[in-house]
Amino acid sequence: MSKNSVPNTQNKSVISRLGGQKFIVLLVVVGLIIFFSAVSPDFRKYSTAMSILDYSYYIALMAIGVTFPLITGGVDLSIGTGLICYSLTGGFLIVQKGWPVWAGMLMALLLSIVIGLLNGVLVSIMNLPPFLATLCTCMITRGLGSIFSNRLGISWPTSGTPGSWFRNIFKITVNGTKIPLGFLWVLLLVAVMAFVLNHTKIGRYTIAIGSNKEATILSGINVKFYHIMAYVISGLFAGLAAIAYSAVFSTVQPGTGAGFELEAIGGAIIGGVSASGGVGSVGGSLIGVFVICLLKTGLPYIGLQANWQQIITGLVLIGAVLVDIMKKKKEKI
Amino acid sequence: MKKKVLTTLLCVSLAATLLAGCGGKSDTPASADTAPATEDAAPATEDAAPATDASVATGGDYKFEIIVKSYQSSYWQAAVTGVNQKAEELGVTVNCTGPNAESDIADQVNMLNNAINNQPNGIGLAACDQEACLDSLQTAMDKGIPVVCFDSGIPSAPEGSVYATIATDNYAAGATAAENLYPALKDKIASATAPVRIGEVNQEATSESITSRGLGFIDKIIELAKADGKAVAVIGNEYYVNNCSEKGDEASADIIIEVAVPAQTTVELCATEASVILNKADTIGMFGSNQVAAEGILTANENLDVLGTDPATSILAAGFDAGSVIKGAITSGKMFGAVTQSPLAMGQTTVEVLTKIANGESVSDVPTQGYWYDSTNMKDASIAPNLYD
Amino acid sequence: MGEVILTMKEIDKFFPGVHALDHVSFEVRKGEVHALMGENGAGKSTLMKVLTGIYKKDSGTIIYEGKEVEFHNTREAQSAGVVIVHQELNMLGHLTVAQNIFIGREFKKGIAIDDKKMNEEAKKLFDRLHIDIDPTETMSNLTVGKQQMCEIAKAISHDAKVIVFDEPSAALTETEIEELFKIIRDLRKQQMGIVYISHRMDEIKVITDRVTVMRDGTYVGTLITEECTKDDIINMMVGRVIYEDPKQKSMVAKDAPVVLKVEHLNAGRMVQDVSFELHKGEILGFSGLMGAGRTETARAIFGADPKESGDIYINGEKVTINSPEDAVKCGIGYLSEDRKRYGIVVQKTVAENSTMATLEKYVKGLFIDKKAEREVSQEYVDSLDTKTPSINQLVVNLSGGNQQKVVIAKWLVRNCDILIFDEPTRGIDVGAKNEIYKLMNKLAEDGKSIIMISSEMTEILRMSDRIVVMCEGKKTGEIGIEEASQEAIMNMATREIS
Repeated sequence: MSKNSVPNTQNKSVISRLGGQKFIVLLVVVGLIIFFSAVSPDFRKYSTAMSILDYSYYIALMAIGVTFPLITGGVDLSIGTGLICYSLTGGFLIVQKGWPVWAGMLMALLLSIVIGLLNGVLVSIMNLPPFLATLCTCMITRGLGSIFSNRLGISWPTSGTPGSWFRNIFKITVNGTKIPLGFLWVLLLVAVMAFVLNHTKIGRYTIAIGSNKEATILSGINVKFYHIMAYVISGLFAGLAAIAYSAVFSTVQPGTGAGFELEAIGGAIIGGVSASGGVGSVGGSLIGVFVICLLKTGLPYIGLQANWQQIITGLVLIGAVLVDIMKKKKEKI
Repeated sequence: MKKKVLTTLLCVSLAATLLAGCGGKSDTPASADTAPATEDAAPATEDAAPATDASVATGGDYKFEIIVKSYQSSYWQAAVTGVNQKAEELGVTVNCTGPNAESDIADQVNMLNNAINNQPNGIGLAACDQEACLDSLQTAMDKGIPVVCFDSGIPSAPEGSVYATIATDNYAAGATAAENLYPALKDKIASATAPVRIGEVNQEATSESITSRGLGFIDKIIELAKADGKAVAVIGNEYYVNNCSEKGDEASADIIIEVAVPAQTTVELCATEASVILNKADTIGMFGSNQVAAEGILTANENLDVLGTDPATSILAAGFDAGSVIKGAITSGKMFGAVTQSPLAMGQTTVEVLTKIANGESVSDVPTQGYWYDSTNMKDASIAPNLYD
Repeated sequence: MGEVILTMKEIDKFFPGVHALDHVSFEVRKGEVHALMGENGAGKSTLMKVLTGIYKKDSGTIIYEGKEVEFHNTREAQSAGVVIVHQELNMLGHLTVAQNIFIGREFKKGIAIDDKKMNEEAKKLFDRLHIDIDPTETMSNLTVGKQQMCEIAKAISHDAKVIVFDEPSAALTETEIEELFKIIRDLRKQQMGIVYISHRMDEIKVITDRVTVMRDGTYVGTLITEECTKDDIINMMVGRVIYEDPKQKSMVAKDAPVVLKVEHLNAGRMVQDVSFELHKGEILGFSGLMGAGRTETARAIFGADPKESGDIYINGEKVTINSPEDAVKCGIGYLSEDRKRYGIVVQKTVAENSTMATLEKYVKGLFIDKKAEREVSQEYVDSLDTKTPSINQLVVNLSGGNQQKVVIAKWLVRNCDILIFDEPTRGIDVGAKNEIYKLMNKLAEDGKSIIMISSEMTEILRMSDRIVVMCEGKKTGEIGIEEASQEAIMNMATREIS
């Protein structure tokens, strides 16, 4: 019997030592880039790469955040409409009320934390199923956004106008060449949150809750607090995503945003977050997001009619979930 | 046990409603996409500013109730301004109300019922929902209160309750964009040795207002090009290809109109679709048929830098609706021009039509036009009030 | 045995409608292993939960190290040195061994968790316990036995002075139990007070110094283990005499027909070329160590796991079983070892559970015929002597033994002639165990054929007419009850396979 417990670092495969699903998904990303580049010459342009990066920031940021509730075995459906709500609120204060841009940003982030806190309290203290709780806040943020903005589409200061400095956070032009600065921030935040997940109490207990909540409680851990924190992180990153969204795009329309969360959650799951909790990595989620972003951008470039895109993205997601299930089966044997 | 089944059913249906609410597409409020095209799809022949119509007798002490879709957006504020201007001019009393948001359908129905109880001489209504007002309309008819719809019609209204509908003629508005874009491209088309391409980005292919605009633009380009002896082909999204006046043959065409529709109505997908067309070397013009599509084209241009106002060196883009981004792009020369709807005129016409009805005159539907604006006329008194943010 | 370290005096605890603890007293000395015994529901767990602060006592005193204490939660108890090793549920499968051991009190370096130091400390703990486990291994990769060791290591790492083992051996193999006992003896030597809760009589005799018996929430008595017999303890527990003698000879008629024949069954690593026959009216024991492939064999026969090859004959006819549905059609019923996961739906009533596998029989049009359902479930409640206030009782509220009876009823209602019992008495107290045994014997007499998978040697020897022994996925022997002995079976179960 004791044979079974030999530390099995030796029998880990090459792939699993390279990061398991993360590695496979990275190969998929590279494969997609090669494929689209081969089929469409326009896809190979620097401007296309810039566009893919530009449009990926907000999804990537949401995915980083939502990785935490997903690992607890929950979900956060409010990040999509939340993003629009925070962006509208910040933009309204800046454009209509004349607040400085930094103050508007701060308010957007504050509001995102409040909504995250609300989600956390609903799930952790009131024991609502995460799906329902965040579906409700999804509705609430959708309405709130419209109210805060008086149902107006809001444009944060556009390039060239005073206060547009914040757009340079994500993209600067040096000698006529555009530099995707935002990607750097995303990578930095991935590193920070990967550290939080793997090397701090918040992350450790997030995994613990997703692994076995009862046992975590019995270990004398303040589970309620850490469970809430997972949703606060998710909220905060939806707030950061709101700033990225406002900086990359022009007008934020009230009532939109539903569906963004699915791309972020989809990315996280493709990147190896287990749909049943306990497993996942921030870096994996980022790579997963790029699968979705590449499909979104690449498929129009190869002339595929619009709706096929969603079908293919859906199929890729099913594939990722199946891989997850198969991995579990293997573990059992 | 029964109780449990009921509860379960309730939960499921509730969840479904929530999902539907959360996942549904939403209209851009400022573009009034819900407005159906008026039956009369011909290009508007009426005077653009019906305010000068002399046939309206001054109104005496008529009292009208005006209900807008949402009271606080600047699109509707422009409409209310038009209403008040005309009311003052004609010497009638108007009372304007509207719910906080276009989705507050029940609030609006209450407001409509209140308005009916006030026994006004007429009601001007921009209905949030095509179905919710039907009972109230019946009541209004029973009490002999005439109703005029503006911005959006109510096709299933009880016969005789709605006297007239005043809404943007989207097909004509799309054509207006073509009428102004084509002349700027004419020389380039004439001198081209190979086929040239004009792109069109439509947010979707289902709503009446967007498809009308898109088709209006395509058909007008075809008409104008034919007059110059050029052959046109329409490619891309099937709906537009199959419903335009003539889809032509891509192989022999001088002008190719490429129609793109994104998978979802998000800015970045509109931008991606726009990028695909903007990247092509033979593209000379672009049209985005609503605010989201037009901003999508501008977003794509952020990384491509191909848009401008000089046809020799850049691609000319036409947009739709206003908003600070599109206005800014036109001012800075990124966008050639755009078509805006005229909430102001709509408001004016509504009061005017109501007065006519009160005077016992017969009225008919009034399609209002879209106005072309570019850097040269943005400040004009007839245009500026319609350029809501 | 040293001085008294913990005394619980006159502990009283009420739950709504139940007097769960009725003035119970209990003491633990330094350097002793004190068994706490009693049937399920006797109040052992409640008493321990009161001790560690999970429940609040209504009256009574707890004196620990000479001072009166009252812990408000497990954490307070832990830091004072009173810890519980739970059966198995405390594992966080996705974290490493060291992360599990130090959960809730991680070493830190700034804001970061110092995993390196935790691994070192865990290693030291394991060295102290003479166990060989890699602290960086993911917990879910360990065997149940090793996980239990980790739990113990975790308990000790709290500088425990009193350790409560709650049925530690329930999921362990014989070898693992041996290792566990080694550790417990070690801890005893280090002057810790150990409370040992178990149902297994033989273990009590081997490892404990004193036995305290509880019954129905009351204290019955405390005995010195050396000075009493098994029967003494059992008598105190149930108030009646239970015999645990082995079966002397097979009850099956010589000419009983073969009802189930399995030939060269293969299903993964755990089922390799397994063949056997089952006769009408026979109880066929499946013995072997944990992980020998017995459950896997049963699941493969039942169609719950895919088969690679092999033939199954029912009453001489070859059948194809690809799903549990097929198996049920062939008259095979499977009573899982993990009742709560596979056997019953605990939030449903007795009646609903009874007809779950047969629902199509009780459907009239679109609706379930509640009357027929009630009648048939009442019938089986009566014939199996299931102790439930009513058939409308939620199964979750029944004791383990009665839950097992509901599962049996479910398959009897389905008219299954072949019943596979996987660990039929796991987690069931002595009194109820006996009833399950009686029931199985009666079923066999009535012509049902039974495959009984069991890890308890006494159970195998007591119930089986014939015994199949497995080891590492292969059948290593078959023996009639007349020739069977513990030694013979253990010999086959540990046979080295070349």
